[in-house]
Amino acid sequence: MEAMTVSTASAPDTDQETDVEKLTATDIPWVVIVWNDPVNLMSYVSYVFQSYFGYSETKAHKLMLEVHEQGKSVVATGAKEKMEQHTTALHSYGLWATFQKADQA
Amino acid sequence: MAKAFRNTRKGITGFLEPGERDLVRKLFNDIITMLEPDTASDEDPLAAMVGLDDKAETPSDPALFRLLPNAVNNDDDEALEFRRLTERSLRETKIGALRGAALALDSSRIVLNPEQAQIFSRALNDVRLVLAQRLQIESAEDAERIHEVQNSSQAEDVESYLALVYNFTTWLQESLMQALLTNNAAP
Repeated sequence: MEAMTVSTASAPDTDQETDVEKLTATDIPWVVIVWNDPVNLMSYVSYVFQSYFGYSETKAHKLMLEVHEQGKSVVATGAKEKMEQHTTALHSYGLWATFQKADQA
Repeated sequence: MAKAFRNTRKGITGFLEPGERDLVRKLFNDIITMLEPDTASDEDPLAAMVGLDDKAETPSDPALFRLLPNAVNNDDDEALEFRRLTERSLRETKIGALRGAALALDSSRIVLNPEQAQIFSRALNDVRLVLAQRLQIESAEDAERIHEVQNSSQAEDVESYLALVYNFTTWLQESLMQALLTNNAAP
């Protein structure tokens, strides 16, 4: 009986550890940050967020104002490869974008 | 005189005088020249085809660096590695947009569908980024100072001439964005 208690108690722990490991390896999200610059027009930045990400006019406008007023904004969150793609796409529009791990943003 | 872009039944239309078209076309071509990679003769053609460039370096020209910025902050090695994987395709995408935009300048009356308008806006934006770098626009105050140069009689030196050109492209870009944004909102 004693041994059984121990095994049922330890089983969930092991599962949890595995989950944490998986999370560290693949699931901690990455982000794309767009930085403010004095050249890109507010209308253009807003347009790019709508056109490229498919964001609503309201969301695009809010993110654009964050860039403008706070100097930067996290505009997308997800897997590393996807965030790399977004960053290059934003560079093709002339926006100043970088990607990094979400926990360092 | 140029006329601002606006939505019409035929699409997004604008008007540029021949001299203005020549100027904008020259600006597009200048940026294309900046972006064309120096292809080495010993280059691996397969690597070039898939967009790899293991010899790419961080641009030393600040204007080119603004067109092709680092994708990673605070880690130069990581930024350079990413650049070697992606920079060539980015250059080609930009050159494609600039060439496409130049084609729209064949007549004084410019008619664009939303897709062509986006290409034109990307090209104009790259022009503005480079001009801004040459004019050392680094803050909102710098931008304001340049914006005040509006009269062609002020074009006494290279800087004020560049400022006029910058303001012209900004005006054109803003009118294009207003047309595109209202066009997008339409069903």
